[in-house]
Order: sequence, then C-alpha cells, then structure tokens
Amino acid sequence: MLRSYALLVKWTLLRLRSTLPLLLLLQTLIGIGIVIGFSFLVPEADAGTALYLSTGALTIGLITVGMVAAPQLVAQQKLSGAFDHQRVLPVPRLAILAADASVWVALTLPGLAAALGVAVLRFDLHFTLSPLVVPAVLLVALCSTAIGYGVAYAARPEVALALTQLILFVALMFAPVNYPADRLPRWLAAAHEWLPFTYMAQSIRETVDVPAGGVSVLPFAVLALWSAAGLVVTYHVMTRRA
Amino acid sequence: MTVLRVESVTKRYRGGVLANDGVSLDVAAGDVVGVLGHNGAGKTTLLNQIVGLTRPTSGAIAIDGTDVVANPAHARRACSLQPQSHAPLDGVTPRQAIELIARIRGASRRRARQRTAELLAGLDLEPWAATRGERLSGGVRRLTAFCLAAAEPGRILMLDEPTNDVDPVRRRLLWRQIRAVADAGAAVLLVTHGVVEAERAVDRIVILHNGRVVSDGTPAELRGSHDSRLRLELHAMSDAVAERLSPPFTAGGPPAVSGRRVVVTIDASEAAAAIGWAQRERAAGTVDEFAVNPASLEDVYIGLLGGRTEADRAA
Repeated sequence: MLRSYALLVKWTLLRLRSTLPLLLLLQTLIGIGIVIGFSFLVPEADAGTALYLSTGALTIGLITVGMVAAPQLVAQQKLSGAFDHQRVLPVPRLAILAADASVWVALTLPGLAAALGVAVLRFDLHFTLSPLVVPAVLLVALCSTAIGYGVAYAARPEVALALTQLILFVALMFAPVNYPADRLPRWLAAAHEWLPFTYMAQSIRETVDVPAGGVSVLPFAVLALWSAAGLVVTYHVMTRRA
Repeated sequence: MTVLRVESVTKRYRGGVLANDGVSLDVAAGDVVGVLGHNGAGKTTLLNQIVGLTRPTSGAIAIDGTDVVANPAHARRACSLQPQSHAPLDGVTPRQAIELIARIRGASRRRARQRTAELLAGLDLEPWAATRGERLSGGVRRLTAFCLAAAEPGRILMLDEPTNDVDPVRRRLLWRQIRAVADAGAAVLLVTHGVVEAERAVDRIVILHNGRVVSDGTPAELRGSHDSRLRLELHAMSDAVAERLSPPFTAGGPPAVSGRRVVVTIDASEAAAAIGWAQRERAAGTVDEFAVNPASLEDVYIGLLGGRTEADRAA
C-alpha cells in the first residue's frame, strides 16, 4: 500500500509537471486577487471586514484547487481515456485516492502563504496565529478535494465541469466566506448551516486570528463528516463495476 | 497450462445491450490468441470483464484457477491491459512512464529499468525515449502504451488494438515483442482488426460476432474447408461495367464490387474455367486486368460473418 502510494504520488507529479507551474500561479493569483479585488469593493475596510476578506481569500484558494481544478482534471482524464489506464493498475483504490489528495493539498500551500502575506501588507493586519491552523488548512483542503472528487467520479464529465463552475460561483459570492452569515437572507443562511463553505471559512479564520472564546470545534467536526462523505462516494464509484 | 478460462460469460448492460452471449475460451501460458470481430462484437467488453472493470451478468472467469469475478483485485494484479484509448503521457517521457508503471505493477527498480531498455530498443523507440508525451506521434504513443502493459505483464497480457496508428516496420517489431512476452511464460490475448497480420502472428484466432464465439482455432484450422477456395480479382474498365459483370461462378456467393474492382471466390476446380472466362472478358474489352490467388484468411473471415453487422441485421 505504502509502496503503491509513493510511486503513485511520483506518477501524478510527473504527469502534472507541465500544468503544475500554471496551477500554482493561478492559485496564488486567485488568493492575492481576492484580497486586493475586495479591497476595491470595500475601500474603508475595518479590522473585522479585513479579517473576513483575507482569511476568505485563503478559503477560496483551497476551494479552487480542491473543488474546481482537481475535478476538472479528473473530468478531462475521463474524456481523454486516460482514466481507463489508471483504473487497470494493480494498486489498492485507496492508494490512488490518497496519492491524488496529497498532491492537491500540497499544491495549495504556496498560494496560501502568498495570499496571507499580501493580506498582512494590504490591511496592516496583526494575527494571533494558532498552531491549529495547520490541521485546519489540511482539513479544508482534504474536504474540498474529497467533495470535488466525489462530484468528478460520480457525474458525467460534462456535468462535473459545469458543477465545478457553479461551486466556485456560490463559494465566492453566495456563501458566508468573505462576509458574516447574518448578511445573507435567512433561508440561504440556514442552507449554509448544512453546507461545508461556512465551516471551511470559520476554521481558517479562527485559527489565523483566534477569537476571544477560542477556536470552535464544530467546523472541524462538520468538515470531517463532509470529507468522509466525499471519500465514501469516490471510493464507491472507483470500485464499482459496470 | 491454462492460465485464463472464460466459461459461458454473458454480459447484458443496464440499457439492455447484450455485449457477450455465452462466450467461452481458454488461453494457455505461452499462447498468443487473437480476438477478431466487427465493431460492437463485444471484444472490449470481454477484456474489461477479465480485468475486473466490468462484472459479467452470468458465467465464470478464472485466472490460474482463481475466480476473478469474485476477486477483481486479483484480476488486476494478474493481468495487464493496454486499453484502446491513448495512455496518459502528457508531461512524461516514454522512459519515465514505462519504468514507473512497471514498478507500480510490482517490478523491482532494476527489473523495471532493464525491461524498459529492452522494449525501447526492441521497438526502435530510443529516439523518443526522452521526449515528453505531448510531443509524440500517435504511433509512438500507442507503442509506449504497449510498453506500459508489457514491461511487467503479469500472467496475462491483454492488448486492445495494439497495432492502430503504428507504422508497418514497427508493427513487425511489435509482433516480435508480443511473441517474446508469450515465450517468457505469459498468456497473451489481443483484439485486432488486422486479420492478415493476425494470421501470421497468433497461435489461435477467436472470432466474435454479435457477442458470440463463431469460430475458435488455429489460422490453418480456420481456413480449413476454405483451402480449396481461390479468389478471382478483376479490374473492370469502368464502375458501370463492374456492376454489369456477372461471373458464372457461385461457389463463394455473389461477387463483391467496389468501384472498378470485382472480387469473386471460386472453387479450385473452377480455376481453369474462371481464367478462360476472364481472358474472354479481357479480349472483349470489359476487363482491364485480373488475378487468381488463394483465398486469404480475410476472405474466410468475411465469408464467416457474411459481411454483416449488428446494424445491418436490425435494418
């Protein structure tokens, strides 16, 4: 299992080699772009708004890689037939999933650092970084990749591609990521109590700048559940025989 | 020794399409078996069931005596498959891809390196060994995909149309490598449309038609009763004349006309009469040239399947 995992990581990295720099660049630019772009939209950002915008940028960056780039690549592999080659490899299905997830999570890290750096400069923020930021980032990355893969494996490639666009749109505009949930209409805020976006943003925000009451546990629990759901769906589709 | 045993395998897809209908076949270690058949005859479905990607509706598949319908992970370990689609080689060179996949398939680092070198040399791929996949031609990509499966083939090497896009010289090299894999003790099962090539390169030919095995034997056995058949090939002066020509020989069914070319299968005993008839047509100015040859396996194949497809039958 471990040997398969290591070799598969190498295989995935090799194949991503040509697109890797572009993905890294894109992901970094999105992170930085959100911080700067929203500061145009909200010119007089107070400390609270600035915190939402800068940590929201990190969350959006993670969502972009896990729920958009990763499933798009899977959909592309399905369309090109590369998927068939992967499916016949004599490796545990879990090793394929673990290898892919690791690569995608690793891919998000440089962009995160850049976005956080720009946020500090732009908004002159002072964070009280918690060590829990590491598990928070990993969990958000895992959760979005798991959901993204679930969508990409379960849906037809054309549908998956459309869905990823929708997910990004919702996360960027209609989810309490860059602003508090109380600004949303009540029904939408209620819906977000079940969706993962709120909790992704909250876990990042509270670990980057710890609130007086400490870091809440609820977001971690909800994200763990969503991750598990995404992985179960993906694993089920992977091992299903037509 | 039988490595692969397929017994009465039937596959009906959820949409109702019957892709395999009671297919049975055995492949022994060291054997190269070619599966022939029209598009949609169920060839790829058969391979997918053996490697465990598709579950048979009924029937049994065993590899070295192990039931792989119940244990698809065992099938993936025991089989290597070159799918029909192009291999994912973007960003990777053939040498990197072959070595790494061989290792993923269980080869040691040393064996992976050695097999990669053997295959690249054997298929004359060395000039592209360090070229990234996106810059390779279709033929080189196809051959690299073959190497991915053949570097560490396991017990059964399965190839889905391996000669597509490959130039004639490298096709010969490819058949040689396929034979080498069989000689090293694996069973080889390959799907092809190249009837003429298959005749020279395989030990046995299985013909699938509408999901059923309609013939299973050596190329010589398959030709069998058809050994006394000859083919008379004529080039008429024009398409219209070709349509009007009616050779007085019916042993092999009506003549096949395509453009100016007319092909009739005749019995060997009719050869003298056929040549005489063709000579007279030539003297009369209706036929440009003609030739008499032994019937090829392709003629037998087309005769056996009646030139029909599923779509024709439905119509």
